Amino acid sequence: MNEDLTQAHLKLLFDLDNLIDDMEEPKYQKIGFKVENEARLLLLRKRNDLLKKLPKELAEIYERLKKRYHQAIAPVENGFCLGCFQQLPTQLLTRSQEIITCPNCGRILYWRKK
Amino acid sequence: MNLSSLLSKKRINLSLKPGKKEAVIRELVYSIKKGEDAELIISTLLKREELGSTGIGKGIAIPHCRSLAVEKLEIAVGRTLKPINFKSIDKKPVSLIFLIIAPPQDPGNQYLITLGKIVQIAKEITKKNLIQKPKTPEEFISLINDLEKGLKRRK
Ligand SMILES: [Zn+2]
Repeated sequence: MNEDLTQAHLKLLFDLDNLIDDMEEPKYQKIGFKVENEARLLLLRKRNDLLKKLPKELAEIYERLKKRYHQAIAPVENGFCLGCFQQLPTQLLTRSQEIITCPNCGRILYWRKK
Repeated sequence: MNLSSLLSKKRINLSLKPGKKEAVIRELVYSIKKGEDAELIISTLLKREELGSTGIGKGIAIPHCRSLAVEKLEIAVGRTLKPINFKSIDKKPVSLIFLIIAPPQDPGNQYLITLGKIVQIAKEITKKNLIQKPKTPEEFISLINDLEKGLKRRK
């Protein structure tokens, strides 16, 4: 499968998962945004469809990490994994095109486009 | 954290071209990010809108989401030259839009706090009928600053 497309699906999946999380947060609901339950179920379904579009192995890693950490992806900032705040080995930093996991915490790493 | 300090003149457009909800969101997002990052944000924002419009009524909408594409909380503001259809809860068209994007990792819950604050400010703006008042981004920021001070005093 096309690596770019996989990355795009993975990122959107992660954003949607955070969206779903926020919807369920009482603090969010208290602010006063109305969320229709039917729409929420539809979003969950879309999220699962997106998961199926990922290569099977990656989908499994993602779900495992989500269960463990809640957020399966961690951005990289100044060479640090923002999931566990450990510095990443320099040889990893040149491989930002591939899907790589943090050698310390296992989260999928995300390099921001500069 | 003051709301007004999160605003930047470059990201306040008080003469936004009216158009479809999606096009207006797109234009505001592109004042924050470009290309792939912007497209990710737009996809997520539109998914959020499908859950129920963020048009909170009385002419104001507050589209928002978290996204991997930003490294800190970002706000863009747009006022359309003519009110647009935002499928708001009160079915009224919208002319003032606060767009908020927060990073996924958000220690201290800055995202929800800011979102709550913007909703409060938005209510003040409609109550006092101030949507059309600021003529420049500078005036807009100082209006928000004043409203924020007013809310603080009342607490
Ligand atoms: Zn890590």
